[in-house]
Amino acid sequence: MLLHKAFGKRLQLALVLGLIMALVLSACAPSGADDPVESDDTEATPTTEAPAATDDESDAEEPEESPDATEDDSTSGEPIVVKVGFLSPVTGPLAAIGTEMKQGWELYWEEHGAEAGNYVVETIYEDDAGNPDTALTKARRLVEDEQVDVVVGPLAANTALAVADYLIQQGVPNFHPVTAADDLTQRLANPLVIRVGAMTGSQATYVAGHWAYEQGYRKAITLCSDYAFGWENCGGFVRSFTEAGGEIVDQLWNPLGTPDFSSYATQIASSGADVAFIGSSGGTDGTNFMRAYEDFGLGDTIDVLGNCCLLDQATLRDAGDLALGLRSVTYWAEGRESPEVERFLELYDETYGGIASLYVANSYTAAHVFSEALKSMDGEIDPEGLVAAAREVNLEDSVFGPRRFDEYNNPVGNVYITRVEQREDGLYWNVPEETFEEVSQFWTYDPEEILNSPPYDRTNTGQQ
Amino acid sequence: MMRFLAKNGRRWKLIGLVVGIGAAWSVPYVFSNYMVSVASLILISAMLATSVNFMAGNVNLVSVGHAGIAATAGYGLAWSFVQGHSLVTQLLIALALTLVASFIFGLTSMRTSGIFFLMATLALGMVVFGLSYRMSRITGGENGLSGIRRPEMFAPYWKYYFLVLVVFIVVTAAVWVVTRSPFGVALRGIRESENRMESLGYNVAAYKLGAMMISGIVAGISGVFAVWQMEFVSPANAGFLRSALATLMVILGGVGTFLGPLTGATIVSWIEHVLSTYIERWPTVLGLIFIAVIVFAPNGIGGAVKSWWEKRQRSARSRRPVGATATETLASAKDPEGV
Repeated sequence: MLLHKAFGKRLQLALVLGLIMALVLSACAPSGADDPVESDDTEATPTTEAPAATDDESDAEEPEESPDATEDDSTSGEPIVVKVGFLSPVTGPLAAIGTEMKQGWELYWEEHGAEAGNYVVETIYEDDAGNPDTALTKARRLVEDEQVDVVVGPLAANTALAVADYLIQQGVPNFHPVTAADDLTQRLANPLVIRVGAMTGSQATYVAGHWAYEQGYRKAITLCSDYAFGWENCGGFVRSFTEAGGEIVDQLWNPLGTPDFSSYATQIASSGADVAFIGSSGGTDGTNFMRAYEDFGLGDTIDVLGNCCLLDQATLRDAGDLALGLRSVTYWAEGRESPEVERFLELYDETYGGIASLYVANSYTAAHVFSEALKSMDGEIDPEGLVAAAREVNLEDSVFGPRRFDEYNNPVGNVYITRVEQREDGLYWNVPEETFEEVSQFWTYDPEEILNSPPYDRTNTGQQ
Repeated sequence: MMRFLAKNGRRWKLIGLVVGIGAAWSVPYVFSNYMVSVASLILISAMLATSVNFMAGNVNLVSVGHAGIAATAGYGLAWSFVQGHSLVTQLLIALALTLVASFIFGLTSMRTSGIFFLMATLALGMVVFGLSYRMSRITGGENGLSGIRRPEMFAPYWKYYFLVLVVFIVVTAAVWVVTRSPFGVALRGIRESENRMESLGYNVAAYKLGAMMISGIVAGISGVFAVWQMEFVSPANAGFLRSALATLMVILGGVGTFLGPLTGATIVSWIEHVLSTYIERWPTVLGLIFIAVIVFAPNGIGGAVKSWWEKRQRSARSRRPVGATATETLASAKDPEGV
């Protein structure tokens, strides 16, 4: 009241504003030198002089300077804590796969304990909802707030490429258990990024085309998911099949999440081809395809060859009886006779029940490779050193069979021709009939040639 | 002092605004990098929500396809960055694409209203999504375009935050001015009765197109900043989810309120990006909040605050003698030069 009379309205406003500005400016004071206006000199090392430095040490520090890392210079007896940020979509449309992906990682450390060589692995799980925005925000949290040494994941190709790009800038290594996108280890390959579990989208399907021709098939029809993964799947098959001399009668593309495959099934049945290659994205797409397969009696008219995912456990749990006897070309054969596979399946059955799917095996293998890489290392974690150590890992046997890595950080290993069989306990699984060893992402081609050609899509289908 | 403040509601608003801006300005000095990047994300989402709100509040046309416009701008920027064009060219391409996309959206708004507009924008949004998914030679398809970098000047996350904040304030102020202008009044006239405005000689279709163009430009700005924020663009930028969340933000915040979009964006983004770290069932939380707002505050949080404010103003006014009322308040608010 008094104030009101003493000062004019304008003055009063100015007073209030001035007070607020003073408050704001005083908040600036500790790091006033970093004011954007006068920060030309800070641009060389931008992150180290960020204004938040006053109360948050997280931003500027390199991993080497993190508190746990400083202790370990002195003794090798104390294990070094390796912080792993694990990104997977446990909500949203990819939740089912994301959850299995998480299970695989957990399973490995449960089985082997969190210690690997001189290191103790501590995992922080984050949900990326299958959305690139969320994945990036979560990756930022993991790197900046949690100061993780390595990020494992995420799953979907777009989230994976977005996160990899960010992590490369931050100098944080990125291990990919499931993502199949060719480019991750081809055109966008980077010394900080390694694909540890899955093979690329076209890697195993090069084998499929080659094998199909060897089997005497000459005319093929393909049905693939209509997005990057399906394009790459079909690309591999079509390229090696046509190069051998086979003919592609027709190529069909189904949108992701197709509920009804009848129209595709009828087209396949009437195509006159002698083999149908199905590059499915798995999950409900696999099950839905099998329903149409049954309804239209495709089994009587044409031989079907699936990719990694068409007849994976997600399909077999639902439609195993329909799939009995069908063949796939894949790097995950749960029916393979190997102590590694048997131990893994037993462990999975005890923990979650049933037979482990491709995705569980993918991140189980990722953990396996990661653990072996740590065992070969000493001292503090150096980002490129960690990836290099992982690249040097050479497993005589993993759940996928022998495994090593090429110079682009992509696995080289077995691809199996599998057949769906019923186990004694009534469950269905894929048993390998034939094994192709040492399959690289470039198959028999010159890497340079692949890297210089455009990625597979609907106009570049690999047709020779 | 108290009485002075009580009788001058506008003054409170102004003080609130200044405190708000001050608080927003101090974010990088108080919070960690990660929270600052979440804050940028919130402001960018709020801009998209503002563009939806402009149409929903003034013309009563609720869109669920605005992410399509934003993504068009984003792809324009990203594509030209990848092609190695200069910043100016990048922005010009983004602007050109925004104008084209807004114009196409605008054409549908000229003849439709209500649910039909909603369906048309949904369809157009999906067209953009489909194109970005399919034209993989240009857009990178499902894999998106990575390796995009912000202009070097704003490369550090906190400088970028200040840039976003300034742009957000400018955009919000510009929308405020347009809403208060005769053009805005005409739009609200159309909202109330299209027929009446038509018989008064207004070219309703042109007004709607104009409104859509303004809204589209705001969406485009948000799209450009979203790409800079993520340094990445993929079909998810154009996806239905993005559009729907923007609309959800508007409804949560209160349709037609000025800070509604920001309120809504804060809640939604916070749940999506921060709470989700601690609560796995965050979509449920988001759903429950949405239901609670619809039931208890049908006009959104902004609407509820507004009606509480107006009630308070009315009771304050009734306690005061006549004379020192509206005119004075108006006069005092009209001298921002004093600020």
